[in-house]
Amino acid sequence: MATTWFSAPAPVARRVRGYFAPVNRTAQAPVLFDPSEQGSFSLDTPPAPWISLGWIQEFTRKAGSKTAAVLTGIPAAALEQVRETLEAQVSFEFLSWTKLTMALATGSQHMNLLAPASGASAAADGAQAATAVTLQSGSTAAFIALAATDAAKFTAGSIIALDVDYTGQTGYVGSPVSGAYVRQALTDVDYIRRVTYNVAFVLQANSTGLTLAEPLPGGVPAAGAKLQAVTGFVDREGGSFYQEWSALFVMEGSQGERIFFYYPRLQAMASAQEAALPLDGKDKEGLARIALKGQFLALPVTDPLDGERVVCYRSFLPSTNALV
Amino acid sequence: MQNAKDSFYMALRTRLASINPERTILLRGAVRPGILVEEAEAPFSQLPNDVYVLRWLGLGVDMDLASTMVAEQCEILYQTCGTQSFGGLDRGRLLSEMDEEVAAMVQPFHTPKLNYTATPPAAMLTKVFWDEPRFSPIVTQRDRLSRSANVMVYSYQEQGE
Repeated sequence: MATTWFSAPAPVARRVRGYFAPVNRTAQAPVLFDPSEQGSFSLDTPPAPWISLGWIQEFTRKAGSKTAAVLTGIPAAALEQVRETLEAQVSFEFLSWTKLTMALATGSQHMNLLAPASGASAAADGAQAATAVTLQSGSTAAFIALAATDAAKFTAGSIIALDVDYTGQTGYVGSPVSGAYVRQALTDVDYIRRVTYNVAFVLQANSTGLTLAEPLPGGVPAAGAKLQAVTGFVDREGGSFYQEWSALFVMEGSQGERIFFYYPRLQAMASAQEAALPLDGKDKEGLARIALKGQFLALPVTDPLDGERVVCYRSFLPSTNALV
Repeated sequence: MQNAKDSFYMALRTRLASINPERTILLRGAVRPGILVEEAEAPFSQLPNDVYVLRWLGLGVDMDLASTMVAEQCEILYQTCGTQSFGGLDRGRLLSEMDEEVAAMVQPFHTPKLNYTATPPAAMLTKVFWDEPRFSPIVTQRDRLSRSANVMVYSYQEQGE
């Protein structure tokens, strides 16, 4: 009878891929990842609402949990062990600068630099913005319907931010990701669009509206959402807001096996940092790639299976034909 | 080990036929995709232009694993003199085209291992996998530009191999 299995050595992987999904801060609900149902997803098209942030490097997991022995007898000997503290950290480097990677790699809130109004006074996180335009009916996640006069204000290649006006509310703001926590009412009507993650690249612009290169992270625009052009992004050293994300890291082995590290709740624990990686290893003073460094603290969730508090799930899906 | 070498070659050959169907070679009376294994053909006095030649070099074996892992170094050699219609002045462009084809051929960095001594080829249990190619500097000989790309090809030995 032909052999139908092989003894698989330890997985061999080239790199790690990272996926993130926003924690619902108001409901304190992380995003679930079920490896039994979702583990075979195509790495390029993760299941919603996970967002691929591409390949990462220098991925390091560090468990900070401490255990202690319960001693008994004379002389004292360990009777059993107890877990005193539960802690884990994750660090890595992003190989691209995008709204999301930059936001994840900063320790505080991350803002959009809205295109300024003509003659507006300068401000470190963006001057007063040009007036937002109102969406027309018929907008979708990938097409923004606008009046012809409004559409003429945008061109292919623009970046846009889309969200509702700020009207004095406090608490978490921004959709689909809570971009900030407002403690005291502010006066900037564009504040939510400054902190929103609902940003996109304009592929085409014509008199009926804007076609986006990728669908908006928030899906179909909410009623009352308005649009502004974005010139870039800014974050600050300082502040009191901590972002929170669910994270999934995948290592795919040479034989098709997969290792998943699922962190239901991650918060950035270090301020914005960059790493300069020389393009030519022999010329440290030459051109260098500026990678975004991220360092995160894993926060606990209660596993409904048995009520245990945990910070990370590690899953392994063996390759086909591998002996387990 | 031979199954891994055959599978790697066939993977590249299939991919090349898709990437650039016009890159072919007339060999032993048959038109084939423009890639061949040097050790499986009659000795060449001069490597053919505008095709890829796979040359197997180093070998390493790790027997401390649950399945023995074999690493085989493959050198992919290629060269061009350009085209007659441009008097050879397009040789740099043609070599760049071949560089891009090599980079495209090696992706994805794995392929199923098949036993090509069977007809039809029999699927085996593991995959052959490899790392990114390392390109050598261009060598210029008169009007001929040549380059090689080194790829380390890994596989697990299966029962019966």
